[in-house]
This record gives sequence, C-alpha cells and structure tokens, in this order.
Amino acid sequence: MPADNAISELIQAGRAEAAFEQLVPAFRRRVFGLAYSLLRDRGAAEDVAQEVFVKLWQALPRYDGRAQLSTWIYAITRNTAISAMRRRRRSVSMSDPAVFEEVESRGAASEAGLDDAALWRNVGALPDKQRQAVILYYQEDRPVEEVAAMMGLPVNTVKTHLHRARASLAAALAGAGEEVA
Amino acid sequence: MSAEDTGRRNLEARLRGLLGGMDASAGFEARVMQRVSMLAVAPREDLRVQFERRRELRRRRLRREVWMNGMTTLGLGACAAALLWRFAPEIQRLAANSASLIDPGLLAVGTLAALGAGVWLLISRARG
Repeated sequence: MPADNAISELIQAGRAEAAFEQLVPAFRRRVFGLAYSLLRDRGAAEDVAQEVFVKLWQALPRYDGRAQLSTWIYAITRNTAISAMRRRRRSVSMSDPAVFEEVESRGAASEAGLDDAALWRNVGALPDKQRQAVILYYQEDRPVEEVAAMMGLPVNTVKTHLHRARASLAAALAGAGEEVA
Repeated sequence: MSAEDTGRRNLEARLRGLLGGMDASAGFEARVMQRVSMLAVAPREDLRVQFERRRELRRRRLRREVWMNGMTTLGLGACAAALLWRFAPEIQRLAANSASLIDPGLLAVGTLAALGAGVWLLISRARG
C-alpha cells in the first residue's frame, strides 16, 4: 500500500512520531479486524488493538525496515491477540454477544435483519481459520494476498479457506430454509 | 448467469453488509494517542527515579568501602605497633646485625621498593 511505504520512509528518516500519527488511522481497521477475527469479542479486540498500537509506539524507533511494515504489524497483532486469548482462558462463545445483539435488534425491525442474525451465527460456527479468512476478506473487501499476510498463511491456503467457508455458509443457510442459490 | 453464481453473489453481498462496517468504536484513535502521550512522560520519570536510586546505592557503597579501608588500615597499623612492641629487642638486635651484614645502600633500595609496592597496592585497590 502506498500509505504503508510513506510511513516506512518516515520511520527510516527517524521521524517516528510523525509516522505514528499516520500509522494509527492507516492500520486501525486492519489491526482491529485481525484482533476481532481471532478473539470474536469486540471489547477484547479493541483492548488488543490499543495494546498493539502502544507496543508499536514503543518499538517504532527500532523498526529497521527489513520486514514489510504491514507484515511486522500483523505479526505483533497476532501475537498480542493470542496472548490475550491465553490470559482470558475462557471458552470462546460461538459469536460476539455485542454484535449478535446488534444484528438481532436490526432483525426485530426487518426480515433481512433476521437473516443477518442467522448468517452471523453461521459465520461464528465456522472453523477458526475459515472464520478468520471470511471476516478479514469481507471487512474491507481486501485482496486475498493481504488477508494471507494478515493471517500469516500462504495465499492458496486462504483461498481454500474462503472457498470452504462460502460453501459451508451456503449449505447452512440453505439447510435453514433460506434461499441462497 | 447460473443460479450458483447468483447464490454466491447474494451470499457475498450479505457478508459484505454484515462485516463491512466492522471497525473500532468512535474515539479509538484519541484514546490511543492519550495512552501514548502518557507513556511518553512516564519513561522520563522512571529513568530519573532509576538514576537517583543507582546514585544513592553507589554513594552508600563508596561510604562503606571508605569505612572498611579505614578500619583495615587502622587494624594493620595496630598489629604492626603491637608486633614492634612485643618483639622490640629482637628487632633491635636483627637491625644491628643486618646493618653490619648488609650493604646500607642495598637496604635503603629494598626498603623503598617494599614501600612503593605497598603504596601501589593501596592505590590500585582504591581505583578498583
């Protein structure tokens, strides 16, 4: 991404503060999305995202540009989210209650909202990697290559996860009597 | 367009609708900046406290070393005085004998060398 390169150049030039001011808005959604895809809890994902940016602030002057900036940030995000998961040591629910409630409340007003609630439940029920791939891919219509970088997986593996996830979702919704095809 | 394609497009549109707006809550960036600005002040204060603590520890160590050195010197001096007092006749006799046996110039050089070695030892200990 051009913005990422500009931020990298600022860091290399020793202007870490200016770089950080650009980095937060540029990576906010990506860091939050990645944390959310792992944690499935909006509050916890936001805490992790905050922690990631604080870590980045501290580590930015030491960034040497050997790894791509985004790859470095995604690795920090994944590690921080995994540590948070271990700390919480709780059984992760099938879906985020906050988002689920929001979707259901929309459902009270429209039939489409009810469909969304069912779809959300099915996304939550997908295997971890498939769910992660779906959330990251559809959150911002990202290229598969970037989703792969975020997940730290090969592009073809992510494509397979996405394909399987879509097939599972279509089958689940069709089984529930929704018209998918 | 096949029914399968239509179904897929429909599912994708719904997934985009469901996940597309996902973002951190309002004020997220301001909260990050606030935390970071607090961090920027905290390390300076931490460093100052650490520096003061290290300086105090060093001061105490030096004071202890000075006291120990003083006591060691005093103890050695007292021992030397006691030995001189205790063996005064023998020392006097030995000195009288050695003065007649050893060349006085050689004795002076030997004494100076022993004194120099002692001083050098004290200085190197004080530096270390």
